[in-house]
Amino acid sequence: MLKKLLAANLIILLFYIYGCNKGLSPVSETGFSGTITFVGNWPQDITRTHLVVFQNELKSPVDFSLLNLKYISLEIPYGVKSFKFSSTDSSYIPIGAGTYEYVAVVQSTTPDLSLVRSDWFVAGVYYSNGDTSKPGVLEIPENTLVQNINIVCDFNNPPPQPPGGK
Amino acid sequence: MKINSLNSVLKVPITFKVSGTLSYIFFILIFSVNVFSQTCNISGVVKDSLGNPLEGVNIILIGEDIGAASNIEGKFIINNIKPGNYEIEFTSLGYQTYRTRLQIENKSVIINVVLKEKPVETKQIIVTAGKHEQNISDLPVSAEVIPSKDLAERNISNLRYALEYAPGVNMVEDQVSIRGSSGYSRGAGTRVLLALDGIPFYTGDTGEIIWEIIPVTEVQRVEIIKGAASSLYGSSAIGGVINVITKDITKKPFTYIKGYAGSYDRPSYDEWNWAGKGLHAYRPFNGLTVSHSNTLGNFGFTLALTRIEDSGYKQSGFFKRYVGYFKGIYKFSSLSNLTFFANTINQRSGNFIYWKDINHALVPPDADQGQRTMSNRYMFGLIYKNIFSDNFSINIRSSYYKTNWSDETTSHNNSTTSLYRTEIQTNNKISDNFILTSGVEGTASNVNSNIFGKPTANGFGAYTQADFKFDFPLSVTAGVRYDIDKIKTLEIFDAVSPKFGLNYKLSDKIILRSSLGTGFRAPSLAEAFTSTTASGIIVRPNPDIKPEHNFTFEFGINYQALSNLNIDAAAFNNEYYDFIEPELLVDETGTSFGRFDNISRARIQGFELDTKYNFIPDKLNLSLSYTYLWTRDLNTNKALKYRPRHMFYVNMDYKISAFEFGSDFRFLSRVEEIDDLSRFIIDGKERVAIYVWDLRAGYNFMTFNIPGRLFINVNNVLNYYYVELIGNISPVRNVSLSMELFF
Repeated sequence: MLKKLLAANLIILLFYIYGCNKGLSPVSETGFSGTITFVGNWPQDITRTHLVVFQNELKSPVDFSLLNLKYISLEIPYGVKSFKFSSTDSSYIPIGAGTYEYVAVVQSTTPDLSLVRSDWFVAGVYYSNGDTSKPGVLEIPENTLVQNINIVCDFNNPPPQPPGGK
Repeated sequence: MKINSLNSVLKVPITFKVSGTLSYIFFILIFSVNVFSQTCNISGVVKDSLGNPLEGVNIILIGEDIGAASNIEGKFIINNIKPGNYEIEFTSLGYQTYRTRLQIENKSVIINVVLKEKPVETKQIIVTAGKHEQNISDLPVSAEVIPSKDLAERNISNLRYALEYAPGVNMVEDQVSIRGSSGYSRGAGTRVLLALDGIPFYTGDTGEIIWEIIPVTEVQRVEIIKGAASSLYGSSAIGGVINVITKDITKKPFTYIKGYAGSYDRPSYDEWNWAGKGLHAYRPFNGLTVSHSNTLGNFGFTLALTRIEDSGYKQSGFFKRYVGYFKGIYKFSSLSNLTFFANTINQRSGNFIYWKDINHALVPPDADQGQRTMSNRYMFGLIYKNIFSDNFSINIRSSYYKTNWSDETTSHNNSTTSLYRTEIQTNNKISDNFILTSGVEGTASNVNSNIFGKPTANGFGAYTQADFKFDFPLSVTAGVRYDIDKIKTLEIFDAVSPKFGLNYKLSDKIILRSSLGTGFRAPSLAEAFTSTTASGIIVRPNPDIKPEHNFTFEFGINYQALSNLNIDAAAFNNEYYDFIEPELLVDETGTSFGRFDNISRARIQGFELDTKYNFIPDKLNLSLSYTYLWTRDLNTNKALKYRPRHMFYVNMDYKISAFEFGSDFRFLSRVEEIDDLSRFIIDGKERVAIYVWDLRAGYNFMTFNIPGRLFINVNNVLNYYYVELIGNISPVRNVSLSMELFF
């Protein structure tokens, strides 16, 4: 009968070996990184500055919604001239692999993080290949950290504002 | 059997046939002792065939409605018995029921009984399905029982971990799901009702189950009813009921001490090793319980204190808790008594909510580092029981449950809640074949919280259930419950929950059962009134939220294929209406927010196969169960969130001499759907199928007349990494050594 006991355990072991390895494991990082450069003097009433990514371009106020918003960084410190970031660091909303049509640095004067479009002002937009005629598209493949996503925020020459702002 | 000589010792072998094939021998030592009073005692020790004491054996005098339960040493005593003829019965889960006749003639009697292990259990008595004692084989619904010995052998310190071994039951963190009833709703609401000795036990604000407050060492058994049970239990019993039955108070002084210590293994991946090198990587945990029980005249009590400290395999996953338990009973007479309960917990814990990312799976995000949660909870209960006659009894259950918690998040969330509940239940034995159970129940709760506001809720319910037994042999159950609830500003809502069940014994080996029932769940105050902002996500209250309802059907068959092989199969269908789920919405200003809403029309269908095989009587047991769940959100035609499609459990026990060994394996397929919150967690969508294998070994020192047991447990033997809830690695491999002493 001991053989049956051993056989039953063996079945479990085979089931285990057949079905799995060690389960979850670390993976190569997925995301993007780069540098944000600030030109000019920071507006005095700014309370929050964040890097945000939207799946689709902002064509109406409704596009500034949580359903379209795919990434919010933690706060970018006030007054910095240059800020290096990586989306693999902590964030309010993490980003995964995919194609994103609008990457921007946004600022607000509200004390708390707000998701109301009118509370935000776009300070800088990501453009790819130097083409400033339209926002650059960010493509993040699986298990890839896309680098050199650099953004310039020129307070003296702000980018076009999406619909719904003040 | 007649006791006919003073101070004599009889050794009486009794042999009888079971199913005409097997013979079982009970060795009974019976002593009779002179006494000089008008009443006598029956006492003794119950052991198994290996000589190990059996705890939790029910010993009752048939027709007298008095009895006792054996303690951890197997000892029992029944007091105040008048001279006369009696029939005494010994029953215990997993053992052959033994019944014999006694004639008491002004002498106290000592009976030492050896119970033979039953090849397969089919006649367990449970009290949850009908709120009165019923044989599990007479029920129209599926039920499971977890005996106390399983809790000790597996070194269970939190009851939630014991449920993971029950067929058809799975856990998503602290939320329990019976046959797919629940997914994960951030602790708001439960679709399974937890009760402690019949008293519902969920919090007044979030409506969740606090498993940590259950005094595991004082649990005699856990009864699980699968499927809607709102016809008796009202709201929250929409997916089933888990009733924790506590141990009886001992007649003589009895002290129990349990201590354990162990550690989590270090992670297999260096990226995950946050605790440092060497011994620091092995995170320790330990616990100590001391309890004492005694009876002084008409008053008996059990007091248990537990301290548990766990340094956590996850950073900020630590906790330290103190659990207190008091149960006192005052017997006004042999027919009337009052039981008082007090359960308390004080806990300080880290606040690990989600991982930082898959490469830092055991570390919380930087913003959550160092946060703690503090909680104090108290539950006081009163149960008054009066047996007016052989045919009529009344139970009054009243409870007060206060919870207070706060955390150190940026919102400094906190909540203080009081929940009052009273139930009056009557059991009327109309005839030998007809029992009518009826009752009324009232609840009131109030909350003071910075995220739930200050809502109040009041509810009232009335129920009746009739259990008929025909000679065919057919058992019929019919019941209905009416509930009406008023939650602060929400509309008053009511629900009628009927139920109908059949149990037909087709032959000695085949039992058919079927049930039709309905269930409902009122939204918890948290689901209706939560108003907060967390990590930029606005959560708004929903003043229009309604109760959810379901309609459930089950058909089952139990087949005693061999004397040592039992097969139970069940098919079930649950239709859910106005399913309450969290969802993300956008208002007219473009602002995104989350709230709980009645968003789904859902369906859960499936079947369950549960096999128990006793390879070697008294030595080797094997149980296998498989549950198939086909769950669908009928609005989206996707699987319901956090429901595995396949669940496969294998449990095995092997005893030899004073040694015992056990092996538990469970497989749950990868859940197909998870909630939208995964978007806010780095690598939140990472999940795999679950394969967990636990091993244990124990030694019973009673062989040497030393009242103690020793167990070593290795959980998650192969150190498999998985999540039940997104962003939360479940316990990694851990080893513990536990020791029980009782005297």
